[in-house]
Order: sequence, then C-alpha cells, then structure tokens
Amino acid sequence: MIVSRTDSQLRWLSLLMFMLIALLSILPTLKLVMEALNKVDTGLNSPLVAMMTHPKTWTALSNTFYTSGIGTLIALVLGASFAFLVTLTNIRGRSIWVFLFMLPMMIPPQVTALSWIQLFGPASPILNTLGIAPPLGSPNPVYSAEGIAILLGIQSAPLVFLALRTQLLCLPIDLIEAARISSASQVRLWIDIIVPLTRSALVAGGALAFVSSIGNFGIPAMLGIPINYVVLPTLIYQQMAGFGPDTLSNVASLSMLISVLVLVGMLLQQWIQQRSQFALIGHSASSISFKLGIWRAITEALLFTILVLILVIPCIALIISSFVPALGVPLTADTFTINAYVEMLSRQGATLRAFSNSLTLAFSASIVLMFLCLPLGYLLTRAPLRTRVLLTSLIEVPYAMPGIVLSIAFILLFARPIPVLNISIYGTLFILFLAYLSCFLSVCLKPVYSAMSQLDKALEEAAQISGAGVFRRLIDIVLPLTAPAFFAGALLVFLISVNELTVSALLWSAGNETLGVLIFNLDESGDSVLASAISVLVVLLVVMIMACLSLLAPRLPKGIIPWHD
Amino acid sequence: MTMKSLITTGLLTLTIPMSASAAETLVLYTSQPNKDAQMTVDAFEKQNPNIDVEWVRDGTTKLMAKLRAELNSGVTKPDVLLIADSVTMESMVDGDYLYPYLSDYRNQYDASLYHKKGYYYGTKLITSGIVRNTRAAERPTDWSDFAKPEYMNQIAMPSPLYSGAALIHLATLTDNPNLGWTFYSELHANKAMAQGGNGGVLKAVSSGSKSYGVIVDFLAIREARKGSPIEFVFPKSGVSMVTEPVAIMKESKHKDAAKKFVDFLLSQKGQQLVLDQGYLPARSDMPVPAGFPSRDKIKLMPFDAAKTLKNNEANKARFSEIFEG
Repeated sequence: MIVSRTDSQLRWLSLLMFMLIALLSILPTLKLVMEALNKVDTGLNSPLVAMMTHPKTWTALSNTFYTSGIGTLIALVLGASFAFLVTLTNIRGRSIWVFLFMLPMMIPPQVTALSWIQLFGPASPILNTLGIAPPLGSPNPVYSAEGIAILLGIQSAPLVFLALRTQLLCLPIDLIEAARISSASQVRLWIDIIVPLTRSALVAGGALAFVSSIGNFGIPAMLGIPINYVVLPTLIYQQMAGFGPDTLSNVASLSMLISVLVLVGMLLQQWIQQRSQFALIGHSASSISFKLGIWRAITEALLFTILVLILVIPCIALIISSFVPALGVPLTADTFTINAYVEMLSRQGATLRAFSNSLTLAFSASIVLMFLCLPLGYLLTRAPLRTRVLLTSLIEVPYAMPGIVLSIAFILLFARPIPVLNISIYGTLFILFLAYLSCFLSVCLKPVYSAMSQLDKALEEAAQISGAGVFRRLIDIVLPLTAPAFFAGALLVFLISVNELTVSALLWSAGNETLGVLIFNLDESGDSVLASAISVLVVLLVVMIMACLSLLAPRLPKGIIPWHD
Repeated sequence: MTMKSLITTGLLTLTIPMSASAAETLVLYTSQPNKDAQMTVDAFEKQNPNIDVEWVRDGTTKLMAKLRAELNSGVTKPDVLLIADSVTMESMVDGDYLYPYLSDYRNQYDASLYHKKGYYYGTKLITSGIVRNTRAAERPTDWSDFAKPEYMNQIAMPSPLYSGAALIHLATLTDNPNLGWTFYSELHANKAMAQGGNGGVLKAVSSGSKSYGVIVDFLAIREARKGSPIEFVFPKSGVSMVTEPVAIMKESKHKDAAKKFVDFLLSQKGQQLVLDQGYLPARSDMPVPAGFPSRDKIKLMPFDAAKTLKNNEANKARFSEIFEG
C-alpha cells in the first residue's frame, strides 16, 4: 500500500491493515480461484470451461443481473425517498419512521418470502377476511422474476437509507440558505445542491444493495426455484447436490463469475464517485427542514402504506403462524396455542445457546469491524486510485460470494490446524467470527469510507502542521466528524449478522449453532411453526436492542443513532 | 491501543466451552430433524454412559458439501454418518470413505436394506406418497391421477435437484414401466411445481397455495395429526422410499464406539425409538406408527441404489430438460 506523505506510524498501520485484508479477503478468494482452476490444464474438459460454456450458467447470470438490477433500483427509490423525506422535511414522528424502516432487514428473507406467498395465497387470513381470497391452488403472482426483485429491493432498501442519511445530516445549510436568498426554485435546489452533494452516498448505498442482492440465496430460492427461475446462488446450490469429483471446482467457477459481476459494479461505483467529490465538514448545526404544508399528511399516509406492506404484513403473518398448532390451521380462539414457544424455550438449551452464540458473534463482529474501519477507511482515502480500487474490490468479494461458497473456502483454509501456531479453529465459534468479519467488512466500510472521502482535508492538515500524529488526528478529528457513519456501519453489521444464515450453515458445529441455522433447520425439517416462534423472538430481541440504543441516544454524539436527530 | 485489547477480549469471549469429558467422543453427522437427532443421541448415551456424542445436523446436500470440503483438506471430522439416502452412501462407498462393518443384527433385516459388505445399513423407511389439502376437489389414489387435467396447476413436488429423497423418487418412478419418463413429461404439462424440499411442499399444500403434492410420509402424517388441513395417501401402485442409512467413516479413530452406535440403531431399542419418532421402522417385525396403514397396505416399488447412482447425473439432466426446456 502506497501512502502519500507517510509518517512512520502510518506506514506501520498500513502494513497491519494489509495483513488483515490479506487474511480476510485475499486468502479465501485465492483458495477459490485455485479450486476453480483445478484440472484447467486438461483444456476443454476442465470443470471451468465446462461451466462457462454451459447455457444454464449464462441464463443464471442474466437472471441474476435482472433481479439484482431491478432490486437495486427499488432499493434506491425506497431507501432514498425515505431518507430524503424523513431527514429533510418537517414530517412528524421522525424517529419512529426510521426505527420502523430499519426493521425489514431484521426479518429473515425466507420468512419475508413466505409471508408474501401466504399474503397473496388462498389461505391468506387478510384476503379471506375481505372475502377476496383466490380459490385453492391458484397461481401466485409473487413467484416471478419481478417478485424476487421486489423482495430483494425491500430487503436492501435500509442499506441505501442508512448510507444516504449520514450524508444528508452533513448538508451545509448555508449553501441552501444562500440559494434560497437568491430565490432559487425548489427544483433547482435539488438539482444543483442536494443531489450532487449526496450522489456519492447514493452510489455507495446502491452498490451495497446491488452486491447484497447478487449474493442473496433465500429469496430466489423460495420464489425462483418453483418456477425454474435460476440465479447464480441457486445454481451453485444445485451444483452442490452432486457428490462428484468436480463439484467443488464447478462451484468455485460459478463463484468467480459472481466476483467478476461484483468487480464490474465496484469499478462503476469508483468511477461515479471520482466524479462527484465534494468536501463537507461534518454536521451542520441545524438540519434542513423543508416545509411540506398540505403535502405533509399525504406524505405521511404514503410512508405508512409502504411500511404496512413491507413490515406490518410480514410481521402479522409471522406472529399468526407462531400461535397455531400446525401450519395451515386458521388462527381462532380455539386453535390459539403457545406450544411452539413453550417447546422452544424449554427444550434442552439449543434455543438459548443459539441466542447467546448469535449475540456474541454479532456484537464482537460489529465492534471489531467498527474499530478496523477507522484506520482502514482513512488509509483508503489516502491511497492512490489504483490501489484503492483493487483493495475495495477485494474487500467486496467475500460479501458478494454466496455464503455457501465463502464457507467452503473457509473450511478448505481452516479444516486443518493452522500451520506454525498449530491451533485448530475449525468447529469453534471463532471460525464463524472470522467468516463474519470477512463477509461484512464491506458493509461496515462503505458508509465509513463514503463519509471520510467527503471530509475537508484542510482540518486534518491544520492538525498535522501543528504536529499531531496520525492516531491523534484519527481520534480527534476524523472520528468525531464521521462517527455517525461508524455507528451506522456497526449497526448494519449487527443487524445482518444476528440473522446470518448462509455462512453459518456450513461452518456451524455441535454446540455452536446460530439463530439463523436454528430457524432454517426447523423450517427445513417441516417445523415451520417452531421456526416462526423463534423468528418472532428474534424480531422482539432486535426491537429491544434498538430501543435500548434509543435510551442511550441523548448521551451519544448527534447523528449516531440513525433514528434520532 | 484499544484495538489490540478489543481483539483479545473478543478472542477470550469466543473460547469454546469445554464439554463434560467422557471416556470417548463420537462425532455424528446427520440429516435427521433436530428433535429426532437429539432423541437418538440421548437414548444412545443413556445406554453407553462412557460415550459422548457430538452431532451436527443439516440437510443432506449441505452436510455433504461440508463433508466434501473437509475431506478435500484431508480431515475426517465425523465418525458416523446418518443421512437420508443410500444413493449418497453409494457415492461414499465409491470414493472409498466408508468402513465395512458386519453387524450381527443384519440377519433381522431384509437384504435390500443394507450393503452386503456392511458399508451402510438402512434404519427406517421414509416413503414418498401423495398429500392432499382436505379442501381439495379431487381424491387422488394413484400416481397416474396426477396426469389428469383436473390437476392442472395444482401439484407441488420436491425438486430432485435439491432433495435426495426426490431424486430417488424420480429414479424409482421412471424405472416403473407403467409410469416412466412419460409420467414426468405429463407432470410438466400439468404445470406441476417442483419446489425445493419436502418442507416447501408441506407449506404449499397446508397453506393452500397448491391442492396436492408429492411428499415424504411422516411429515404429512405428523402435521395432519397436529390438525393441519392435509391428509396423506399411499398410492395403489406403490411408493418410493429412502432408508436413512447409517455408516462408519473409514478414517474414524473411534471404531468401537461407532460400531456400538450402528448396533444400537439396528437393535430392538433403536427401532422402537424410530417408531416413537413417528417413522416406519426398517425391521419388518415392528408395528407401524400412529396414522399409518398396516404394513401390507404399503406397497414399496423396487429400487437399486448402485444403479441409481450411475444414472443420477443423467436423471438430473433429463429432469432439468423436461422441466426447463
């Protein structure tokens, strides 16, 4: 890593960071490339060539592109409009809106998918009440490429929202005031000031949404497989079903393809962000507030409708299905039962163990990543362009890789005891911890990096001239000005990893089950009611954690908690 | 140096809790549902207090992916496998990963249920039959009903690309002269939906998004007994089956404990456990679980594991062609 104007502390820091990226991103990626190139010398018969020339691969690739692309657009529209409306207008009850908007990420995607299927299906409690339920066995509009895209969009909208909101809080109010005094119209205000200043965050959020949609398995598996609509992650899963000698190489080849997709996305992001650099100087004293006038009630009604669709309905479906004796039994006073909860909470500790494992992992991963991203984001902003693109792409790859593939890379790396140290981390919680770090590094880094690249360099240079070392500058200047982004990043990591499934699915072992694994296992073995009960508990837990954060909000710097101003 | 101290604390919190030390630890990889796996392990540990069983549960496909990655790195984690189907076991035999063990209990089993050299033993019968929503208009009695126009758009089935049981179901039915591949083409023409696994079929039929389905017996019968609006039908011409075989890994360091585990599953006690969990025991002198018809009413279709393994890839490809072409 080349850093302009190094001091010795900085050089030392760069080296440490590079080793870390090597461990978390380069190693697993390399392992997979090697696996994909297996038998490549056999030319046309090699697994790589066979996979790349298979028409199904290309169908899956274009499907992935289609669903993720549309999903990203939906996420951008949803996330951005929520962020603009809630941050920049005089809407009532801001914090509640934001709080609720963060929640859809908390519900596991397969649960969201299931609740939508039920919502439009013949057994839909809501449609039945209204008397407009379709007849038994009628086809369901949710099973379609567009259905997948909509759910992907909903799932990743909070990513866009959080990335953008941090930026909006830093909008320089004096610019807006100046424009208003010069009697600029609202439209001009948006086109000339607000949009250019937030473009970088929009692009960062969009990139996150795109990448997370590419790697999503749960939604296309539930909605795509029944109609033979295959995307790359589900194709990989199908490849897994064979126990042939070339299976791993096939899977690795497909994963490389996904990585290439991600790389293209990253380059695009870099290119756009290069062209929209504006320096901002942290929080403005007062946030901008557009008066909506009569539009306020209409806006609120619109937001409410959207939230009902993406949050309330799935939640109701989840709650209903956790209080019935068996799936498909309607919920009435006679059928109401808390058996599922009793069974899950009294059964020999698996549930509590999963809760404690998931919480431990999510807390440690988010805190460690938060502290890693401070120096890492800082170094990246100072690195030359080529290095930066290379490193950010490398960091992005593990996040985009389908979880099942990343975990295979980790098994290949760590199944045997680590040489020299002779410690075996395989089969412990620690390997999950490492995998989470690898997987979510980019989630935490994106908002941080985006905020840091907007910092005005003058502040830091002033400190440097006065003789402040690099750590001093990081802690006294960079950190306070970008704190909200850190918190947003860490919070995102926490929320995503509490429910993480696909990575954990292969890496868990006896006694180390996580919540995602528990829910998935129950669901897969047909115990959907038990799975719903656990999911309800998970959502409750997350709401409680978020509420605790709200209580802390007055003691924390402004803007740290996304749903507090 | 906050970072350093943080990482150390992180490391400390992540140390593994030491399990109670018993004389010997046996590692089991299984695809049984959580509840059943725990029950089986508890009963075995009660009988063998000096053996401690650690188990990992996942769907057969994922479990095998994990195992394959481990074996590729030259590590054998499990001592014993207890997975859904004998075809996967055959592939393990081909790869020379299993240890042949001739259990004394084998004489009490039908020869088709275990490998003649003792590489694996079937422990129960999980058959695939028909499930219908109780509100559905038709009452199917046999597979051929699914080709009728009344069933258009109404059928859910597990996909052979995902589920081991579904792949065996496909091999069994396509081998049947009265059904064959024609039947699968008819299913496709009838817009049958090939879902992921059996859990998906259960959800589709019990929530009414489809009226009928192909499903494993115990799942539908168990949910119906809980009050789910579905019923299970054993088709007249017969059902396909998987046998949930158990096998010992060749590289296992705990062969004696592993043999005890195999013997336990095949013993009267182990088979009683299978019955209590709501499955059809493999031993033919055992009764059937509640909700099942008597054994003579359940017709099993013939099936050859080694042959199926040979045709697996071709079967999958042909299925994809019909359902996606």
